[in-house]
Formats: sequence, structure tokens, C-alpha cells
Amino acid sequence: MGSRGHSVLGRALAVAVLALMAGGCGRSAGTKRTVVFWQFSPLAAIQPVLDRFKTEHPDMDVQVEQLTWQSGREKIVAAIAAGRPPDLCEVGSTFLPGLVADSTLIDLTDSIPDLMPTLRGWKVVEHRGRAYAIPWMLGTRALYANADLMKRAGLNPEDPPATWAAFARAVQRIDAIDPETKGFGMNSGEREVLFKKFMPFAWGNGGDILDSTLTKSVVASTQNIEALRFYLSLKPNSLLDRQEMLDEAFARGRLGFTISGPWLLRKLPTTAPELHFEVALMPRPAEGKGTPASFAGAEVLGIFRSSKHKADALTLARFLVREENAMPLYAATGNAFPAAAAAEQDTYFVSRPRDRVFVEQLRTAVAPPVHPRWVEIEEILNGELEEAIYGKKSAEAALRSADSRIEALLHATP
Amino acid sequence: MSRRSTLGLLPWSVCFAVFGLIPLLAALVLSFYSMNPLRPDLTHWIGVSNYARAFRSPEFWHALRTTAIFVVGTLPVTLSLAYVVAALLSRLRRGETFFRAAIFFPATLSMVVISLIFKSLYAEQGLLNGWLAAAGMPRLHWLQDPRLALPSIMAMDVWASVGYYAILILAGRKTLPGEQLEAARLEGMGALEVERRIIFPHVRPVILFVVLLNTIRSFQIFIEVFVLTRGGPLDSTLTLVYHLYERAFYHFEMGYACAIAYILLLLVGLILLVQRRLIAKAPGDAAAA
Repeated sequence: MGSRGHSVLGRALAVAVLALMAGGCGRSAGTKRTVVFWQFSPLAAIQPVLDRFKTEHPDMDVQVEQLTWQSGREKIVAAIAAGRPPDLCEVGSTFLPGLVADSTLIDLTDSIPDLMPTLRGWKVVEHRGRAYAIPWMLGTRALYANADLMKRAGLNPEDPPATWAAFARAVQRIDAIDPETKGFGMNSGEREVLFKKFMPFAWGNGGDILDSTLTKSVVASTQNIEALRFYLSLKPNSLLDRQEMLDEAFARGRLGFTISGPWLLRKLPTTAPELHFEVALMPRPAEGKGTPASFAGAEVLGIFRSSKHKADALTLARFLVREENAMPLYAATGNAFPAAAAAEQDTYFVSRPRDRVFVEQLRTAVAPPVHPRWVEIEEILNGELEEAIYGKKSAEAALRSADSRIEALLHATP
Repeated sequence: MSRRSTLGLLPWSVCFAVFGLIPLLAALVLSFYSMNPLRPDLTHWIGVSNYARAFRSPEFWHALRTTAIFVVGTLPVTLSLAYVVAALLSRLRRGETFFRAAIFFPATLSMVVISLIFKSLYAEQGLLNGWLAAAGMPRLHWLQDPRLALPSIMAMDVWASVGYYAILILAGRKTLPGEQLEAARLEGMGALEVERRIIFPHVRPVILFVVLLNTIRSFQIFIEVFVLTRGGPLDSTLTLVYHLYERAFYHFEMGYACAIAYILLLLVGLILLVQRRLIAKAPGDAAAA
């Protein structure tokens, strides 16, 4: 490289350094405090909410980043490992127990007593009576019924099956319509969702995964075994596939019933405008017995131990969970409902009875336990359920095996 | 090497060191530690425990077995098809450019895109089942049936890689002097004999390269499993890299995951050495060694 080359390179480097310094000066000279916020909603949906926050808090700025469901967990883990996590982060409820177990999130209990009565979903974020995050959005699943197939099977779509017996009969009758239709969509081929689909039947029947002290497995209870036997009895009349394929089969009018989330409400009018469907609460074991339970998931807001601006992050979290700020997010994405208790009375649900069903379903939805070893417990449960669904084990054998494995895990030294 | 050349190599060297060499060495060091990325402060030395744990773990052996089936199942098929396709392409009189481009096309797509395409092809209402139904055959649960899931991924992988390797082999064939082929024909050799005695020995170095490349790629299979099956159903597609990914990012056992990665690295290295020796030792070859 000649002297001219050196001179050009030198000037370019000098400009780059000056630009970096200028950027640094700009930041240090500014009076605004910046909160780094990672979340999963599309930026178009969250930005108007954050703009309102900045209007309300002119001394603060928010640097928002959208995570993807495919790689969000890895990104969060990498950021924590590198010691540079966001100040505030949206975390899925199934990821939360691992973070709590490793003391990665700060205990917020004493900072948010005023929020306790205004929000639902605290069970999802509590471990040993302490809250490690703030519930933001709550998700659940309900029963979708194809009204046309119900009519063809001689069933009344206005009166979707409310009990296990009625549900099983309806599934059989729809399956018998023709070889192209199936009564029910049963999840398979994606192990990670299996417990979310089976446990509603078990919870509805009075069953559970761990006892109230979280120290003993109750997976092999008679209630759970009864529920799994019922769930497996639907298999001969079911289409076994992954959730997205079941949603698609339902949209094509090939499924009588499927259990899915509110996202399908947004999708169906555009992908299947001809489809007539109803949304109902999950069936309960019998009239006057059990509850119409479902899986309760949540998107919660957590602050990491190594977050740089904890107080400002809490200010943003407090703002986000307010009903008037969470509701537009639900309206825009349709994935999960505001944890704000006041949202239940929002006029939005008056004109949208199908959305309203999910709000009602949330009342009897159950969240999995926040246990430090939840990832392993979930893995065992899903693995055994998969064996049962694929006919490798009976309902009883699968749950007994899950029970002994979970017991061993609970009493093992971590 | 001149100063200018050294400077020219600097950007690549820095990138290689930062994104390749340092992580590689860091992973080796980490494989001797217990490390939870959520609690880096609790990281501590455990010697070869991670390696010992892997060798005791039935899950590790299952993942290794699945990976081996994948490699053994795809490598010969990919290689044979690539060789045949290259031979056919070399015989084309017209439209060679078009067919070459068409055959190579899958190699230009990302594996995520290919996996998503095959996800819809393999769907219960997908194209493949449509063909089966049209032929009066029952629909198959390509990715739901534990017996079919791995072969389905293997078939996709073969489809995705044949074109790339065929073009490499074709390039090798093109370097064969025309006079040599002409002389062989004048000596009365048939097409098969020319293929066996003249062309095959000539392209053997390329074949060795293809075998090595495909072996490395196949042992590293991850994206296909991540997009299509996530290791299921019933662990039938749980490959070694997917297993280590789960240990690292779901169980936060970074040290153990690094140990699995290094076992894989050593295993692949060993297999490559054996392959190289076997192919190089074959009679009639001098160049491949």
C-alpha cells in the first residue's frame, strides 16, 4: 500500500473514530434515560403504546427490540450470559421457572403491592409466595367447533358439547360423516405442546402435576389416569398432527373440533371466510362435576439481576400492564389478553362474543407450577404422553412412569 | 509474503479468529466446566465429567445412532445420484446450461426455506399425500410416524444436496482431456468401461472431496430437524446437534453441550481420516492421496 493509500485509510479511520465519539457524546450529553425493552409483539403493535409512554415520561426513552418465538429464548440466554441483558424483558410463562430457579430475575414482590389487586395471573409468576415478574398478557385455549360439520352430524352448533360424554359422542358422529372429515384434532409430532393439550382434561377432573407444596408428584392420580384414558379414547376419531396443521385442517373444514388459541379467531375470517364456527369453553368431566379447565399461559415482564436500569424498567412495566395500554396490544395481535382485571369489562368484548369466550375460559384456566425443575418435569410429562398417544404405553403405565421419574427428579440433588 | 498480502489477509484472519478460532477454543475449555449461562458466576471446573456423562447417557447414544443412520442413509444415495446426474449432464448435447442451473438451484436456497417447503409437501393434505390419494393409496403421516420421520428428512436432504455435488463432479469430469476419451473409444471401450476405467479414476479426488464434505454436513444436521420435527416423534429424529442444542438452550448445560460438540468433532475427524484412506487406497488412483 502506498503513502496515498495509507493516508486514505488513516482519514477513513479518523472519521470513523470521530463519528463514534460524536455518537458517544450525543448519548452522554442527552438528558433522557433509555430503557432497553425486549418483547415479542410486532413493532407496529407496540410502538404506539411506547410513544404514549414517552409522552407521559418525557425524561425517558425506550429502545425496543422484537424477539422471535423461534430464537427469542436463545437471544435472552446469550444476553444474560454476556452480562448485557435488556432492562425489561417479556418472558413466556414456561421459560420463567428456569429463570426463577437460577435467580436470574429480581424479586419484585415488595415493589409492586399496589399492582396485586389490579392484575390477574400472579400464580404464573410466583414462587414460594414471591413474585418474580409482572403478568402482562394472559393466554389460554378454548374449543373451536365447526358449525357446518356439527349440523351435518345432526348436532346443534348453538349447543357445543359441554361434557366429556357429549364431546366424545360429537367427535364420533362428525368422524363418521365421511373419510375426509375427522372429529377432533389431537396434537402429535411436537412433543413440547402435549401437556398443554392433555392437562386441561386432567385439571378439569381435579388432577394436577405436583401437590400444593410442590414437593410431590401427583401425576399418577386416578383423576389424571381417568382424564388420559378419556383423551386417548378420542384418538381413533382424530387427526393427529402439529398445531399449525390442525389449525389449517380446521380452516379447511375437515375437523369437527380443535383446541386452539385466540390467534385462530384472527386467522379464520381471512383464510377461511366460508367457514362457520363456534368457540366454546372446554368440556368438563360431567354435568356438575369438575371444571371446564384449560391451559393458562402468560407473557410476563421481568427485570434481570444484571439489568442496568431497574427502576426505569419497573416504571415502563407498570405503564405497560395498565388496561388502557395492554388492550390495544390485544386488539392488534389477538394472541393473549391483558392481565389487567379491568380489561374483562372492556367494551371490545361486548361486540366480540368469541373473544369473550376466551376471557371466560381464563377464569378456569390453570397454569403449570412455577418449579425450579419445571423444564425437566415438562420434558418427562411430554415424553410419557407422547408414548401414550403413539400407543407405546397405556394411560396408566405412561402416567405411573412419569410419576416415578418426576418423583426421582424432585428428590435428586440438583 | 509481502506486507500488502499480509494486510490483505488481515480482515479475514481477524474474522476467523473472532468468530471461528476463539469460540472453538472457548468451547473446548468450557467442555471441562459446569456452566449455566444464566448463572455464569457459578461456573466451575469439573474436569472430564461432561465427557463421562455423555458416554453414560442413553440419550446421547440414541442421538448418535440416529445421526449415524442419517449419515449412512444419505451419503451413498446422495453420492450415487450426484454421480449419475453429473454423467447425464455431461452427455447432454443441448440445454446443458439450463439443466445445470435447474439441478444446482436447491443449493442456492437456505435449508430453512427448503425445510418449510417440504413441511407443506409432507403435510397430511400436502402434495405427496395428494398423489398417493390420486393413486388410490392411503395417506401417510410423513413426519408424524416415527418410522417415516427420519427417512422423510433424509429424502429431503438428498434432494437438497444432490445438485450441488453433481455440479462438483461434473466440473471434475470436464477436466478430463477429450483426447483421452477419444483414444479409449478408438481402442474399442464401451461407454460403461470408459466410465469405470477412465472417468471414475479421474474424478476420484472430487468424489473424495464430496464424501468428506457431505459427511461433515450430515453429521451436523440441525436445521431440518429444528424446522420439521424438533427431534420427534418419539425421539426418532433426535440427532446429535439437536440434542446438544436442547441441552444448551433448554437445560442451560453449556459445558455438557460443548463436550458433546467436541465428541462430535473428534468422531467426524476420525471418520474423515478413515474415508480419506479408504478412497485414496482404491486401486488405480494416485491423485487422491
